[in-house]
Amino acid sequence: MFEKLEIFRMSHAMATHAGARQAVVAQNMANADTPGYAARDLAPFKTLYEAQAGTPGSRATREGHMLGQGAQAGFSPSEREGAQRDPNGNSVALETEMLNAVEVKRQHDRAIAIYRSSLTQLRTALGRG
Amino acid sequence: MSDFANSLSVSASGLKAQTQRLVHVSENIANADTPGYRRKTVAFETAFKGSSSTGTVETGPVQLDRRELSRIYDPGHPLADATGQYDGSNVDLMIEIADAREAQRSYEANLKMFEQARQMSSRLMELLRR
Repeated sequence: MFEKLEIFRMSHAMATHAGARQAVVAQNMANADTPGYAARDLAPFKTLYEAQAGTPGSRATREGHMLGQGAQAGFSPSEREGAQRDPNGNSVALETEMLNAVEVKRQHDRAIAIYRSSLTQLRTALGRG
Repeated sequence: MSDFANSLSVSASGLKAQTQRLVHVSENIANADTPGYRRKTVAFETAFKGSSSTGTVETGPVQLDRRELSRIYDPGHPLADATGQYDGSNVDLMIEIADAREAQRSYEANLKMFEQARQMSSRLMELLRR
């Protein structure tokens, strides 16, 4: 029942995106010393969300407009451009990855905070606050 | 969800690979004065298991450093040949220490990612609690 509310759907997609990006960052870190490995990254959530939802006002009005499903399919990591390569062909910079990791954590926390707040509102409306 | 669950195992594979590397580094340092010892190295490789798109890291086979052994002049040594020299090891302590530092740095980074993935999933679990 909550799945069909836009704000729940959006925070769900946001948390899913953070989870997927966390996996990509972890992969980069694990391969920080692998020769020839190119650092990967996901497109920001904003871009993916806008691409999925189209123009504001017309989003998720029908069964077919499942943002959660669409966003999940769109998580394809691409190689980061403009990264400087080590002599052994590795382009992971641990410092950049640290920064990305913090970004992911904050995005995830934000998504969950939105979800929780909306849930509380819903509970209050039901009279069980 | 599958990607997120993978992130723990990816970080764990990184920890394992760095430990393996540190094992060989300490072996090299311990044997720095062993006559005829060749330094051991492992190469890292990205491995894709099953259909998952996230690549874990694995260590390749152990390789011996092909560099020439150092010649040490010590006529009194039991292994010394006619010229009074014997084969030492080809371990360069400076390189080993630098390698150990790099391994430690990467290990810490992986540990941090593991901790973060754990925190994120526990935050999710908290949603279920009232």
